[in-house]
Amino acid sequence: MIGEEALPRLKEINSKYQMFRAMTDDKDIGDSKFLFSAKDNLTSMDMETCSGSKILEGYHPVFDATPIANMRKAGGKLIGKTNMDEFGFGTFSTNSAFGIPRNPFDTNRSCGGSSGGSACAAAVIEDHVSIGVSTGGSVACPASFCGTYGIVPTYGRVSRYGLIDYGNSLDKPGLLSVDPKKLREYLPVISGKDPHDATSMCQPDLDLNSDRIKSVAVPKQALEGVSDDVTKAFNDALEILKGSGIDIEYVDMPELKYAMPAYYILATSEASTNLARYVGMRYGRQDGDMSKRFDDYFTEVRTGGFGVEAKRRILLGTYTRMEGFRDRYYAKALQVRLGVIEAYKKVFANHDAVLTPTMPFTSPKFSDIDKMTPVQNYQADFLTVPTNLSGTPHLNCPCGYDADGMPVGMQFVTDHWKENLLVNMAEDWDRMFEVRRAEVSL
Amino acid sequence: MKIGLEIHVQLPTRSKMFCSCPTTDAPAPNYHVCPVCLGMPGAKPVLNRQAMVYGIMLAKMLGCTVADTTWFSRKTYFYPDMSKSVQITQYDHPIGEKGVVYLGAKKKPIRITRIHLEEDPGKTKRTADHFALVDYNRSGIPLAEIVTEPDLATPAEAREFLGQLIQDIRHTIDLPEDGERSIRCDCNISVGRERVEVKNVTGMKNAERALTYEMIRQTKILKAGGKIERETRAFDETRGITYTARKKEFEADYGYIDEPDLGIFHIGELASTIRIKESPANMAARIADQYGIDQKAAKQLVSTSVELASFFEDVAKQYGTENAVKWVGGPVTANWKTMTEAGRSPRPVLDIIGRFAKGEITDTEAGIKIKSAMTGVDAKAAAQSSGDLDNLIKGFLDENPGIVDDYRKNEKAANRVIGFVLKQTGGKYTSAEVVDAAKRLISERL
Repeated sequence: MIGEEALPRLKEINSKYQMFRAMTDDKDIGDSKFLFSAKDNLTSMDMETCSGSKILEGYHPVFDATPIANMRKAGGKLIGKTNMDEFGFGTFSTNSAFGIPRNPFDTNRSCGGSSGGSACAAAVIEDHVSIGVSTGGSVACPASFCGTYGIVPTYGRVSRYGLIDYGNSLDKPGLLSVDPKKLREYLPVISGKDPHDATSMCQPDLDLNSDRIKSVAVPKQALEGVSDDVTKAFNDALEILKGSGIDIEYVDMPELKYAMPAYYILATSEASTNLARYVGMRYGRQDGDMSKRFDDYFTEVRTGGFGVEAKRRILLGTYTRMEGFRDRYYAKALQVRLGVIEAYKKVFANHDAVLTPTMPFTSPKFSDIDKMTPVQNYQADFLTVPTNLSGTPHLNCPCGYDADGMPVGMQFVTDHWKENLLVNMAEDWDRMFEVRRAEVSL
Repeated sequence: MKIGLEIHVQLPTRSKMFCSCPTTDAPAPNYHVCPVCLGMPGAKPVLNRQAMVYGIMLAKMLGCTVADTTWFSRKTYFYPDMSKSVQITQYDHPIGEKGVVYLGAKKKPIRITRIHLEEDPGKTKRTADHFALVDYNRSGIPLAEIVTEPDLATPAEAREFLGQLIQDIRHTIDLPEDGERSIRCDCNISVGRERVEVKNVTGMKNAERALTYEMIRQTKILKAGGKIERETRAFDETRGITYTARKKEFEADYGYIDEPDLGIFHIGELASTIRIKESPANMAARIADQYGIDQKAAKQLVSTSVELASFFEDVAKQYGTENAVKWVGGPVTANWKTMTEAGRSPRPVLDIIGRFAKGEITDTEAGIKIKSAMTGVDAKAAAQSSGDLDNLIKGFLDENPGIVDDYRKNEKAANRVIGFVLKQTGGKYTSAEVVDAAKRLISERL
């Protein structure tokens, strides 16, 4: 079983769930050993790559992103590029210039974001693994909303070559699947040093040995502002973990609350420089009026090509690095990041992992998302942002279901390079807890 | 008047700064390009180690304190030749800071603010029909930017400084001699209080021209009671004038942030293992000191060739300074170029000077043998030829005895002899040979 029966029905599946921006036309698996999909911000030579943005419409990269290339080398067949928030800017995949993926448990609800299409594909397609990318929670959040496992390894573990940059110091490719064994199988495939990405070159070897999480710290601050459904499911999960012999201790991590502002400053500062290259030359949209001056030409292309959220983040990020503001915002945020890493290290001196709910609520309806302000939107990430800021590996495990049957997720964070603890945790948890599959009707 | 310079030097690495594209001349526009230097989405820069090594060498040459930890920054601006709209440069932690260069014979200290590495953008070429074409072959070529304090007093001094600096740089990092093309600078000049920057001037001659034009322009404005506006100007090489490029109120805010893709470089240990060659300027100063010869003569030796200066030292050490000045300063200098072009070694010359020093051969014999050994002309012909040259000069001096008297007051009097001989012989002798012979024969009559 490698999910090959999905191939002929891919278009049909996609018309219902809109997880794919681009898909293979192949009807059979050929010589490949397994199927996988990848977020649309990872470059692929055989499929258009847009990172969810109109400004890159029509872009066919001349090289494969390293994680995709490595999956292909291992015998994988890329079946589609998954829909996402434009450049990763969002929590619900609703900021997509193309399709908005539908939650497999309720198509009126969001898959989460920004790797929403990847979580959706992982949840809907049999025996599937999808490569997502996390900057501030973009793997854990959709995994939580769609009831799948989702692992994000340490920053630098997986090469970012071919990953279309959002915040370079934060971006991390990861994996989503309903089957935790797939994390063990494919994490080593996408991991490793890559001379094309300098930040991947100082990692220790990935050793998925049998070390297990024995003690877990739950920060008190992480339980404030969490919905009742989520709190209940999380507390039930804690009981199961205790029953399996894992020590649970509540700790204070006051630094967590500074992670959010620091994250948005660093992420938007970097994003605003990354997006500067999209000027309607060389690739993507080039439909501006060529008789205009260069400044006017690219202003026209950018005005039409970027979505509202992209524009907001460019403005925020440009502001925080302006002369006179740089020290107050950007430089300070860099210091806060060190403080957050320090806070984690203190906890890891006595515990193997930090455990929190992944999202403060279950997947909202699209109609409710429309009513949210940008700040409410950003605040939804307050549990996933700290670990992304510190570059520590983390894992979402489905841990319960609310009254409407929507999945609840919990998030384990371990120290840098200790992905082994997370992979073992996922497999152990899968034996302790019955993960529900969405009923997929076509 | 205060002048400060920002000098850009292309570093002679074989591949570009952040990708493996070659740095050699390309057969066509946009030929030596790849996803990295074209700034394609998803591509990542990876530092060329040799660029860092060259940067450290130059930092040491400039007497800078080499940083223990250094990193790169992003400078954001929208221009078509900058493929990422972000230039990777160094902002708050450059490779080197606080250096000093001693200029010329007077050893005037010129302070160096900093030296940092950055990537070159591509090139924009305007077409006749108001379009512009962009060529990214140059995109990502490594540059070192050297920033001086405003310690230069005149445009001529700025040119002298650039000349010395270029020679030192060439020698230190083996930068090939391709005219002045690989050196560009931004010139800051203030005659009054406000500073004006003339951007992107190519070569030292143009730097002097641009600065001189600015000096006159600013002086005129001040004399007329006007005010100098702080601005950025450009230099038109053809017309030799500067013109406004950007007013101060439009001064760009580059929004510098750290470059996260490259990480932090701990270069202290690497820097401690890098030794640099003595720079030509330092060598000239040392030779003048060590052997008690004229600064100008020492500079002449070094600027002819560092190898010639080394040969001078060999002779001085074995046979004394007097012989070194007499022979290396004279006929050896005169024939050095011919010798190196023919691929000959100066080794036999050292022996000839040795034999002269021991009294085994005469002055005239030594001169002929040296010329023969260096040029490959056989000794008899060399003797004949140099005899002819000597006779021609002697005859001219006999007819114009006033020259010798004039020469006592001003060495330029020798030019009359030299001019006469060159005209008479029409290319038979090199001007260096004629100069050498003329000075020698005049000196005999003093």
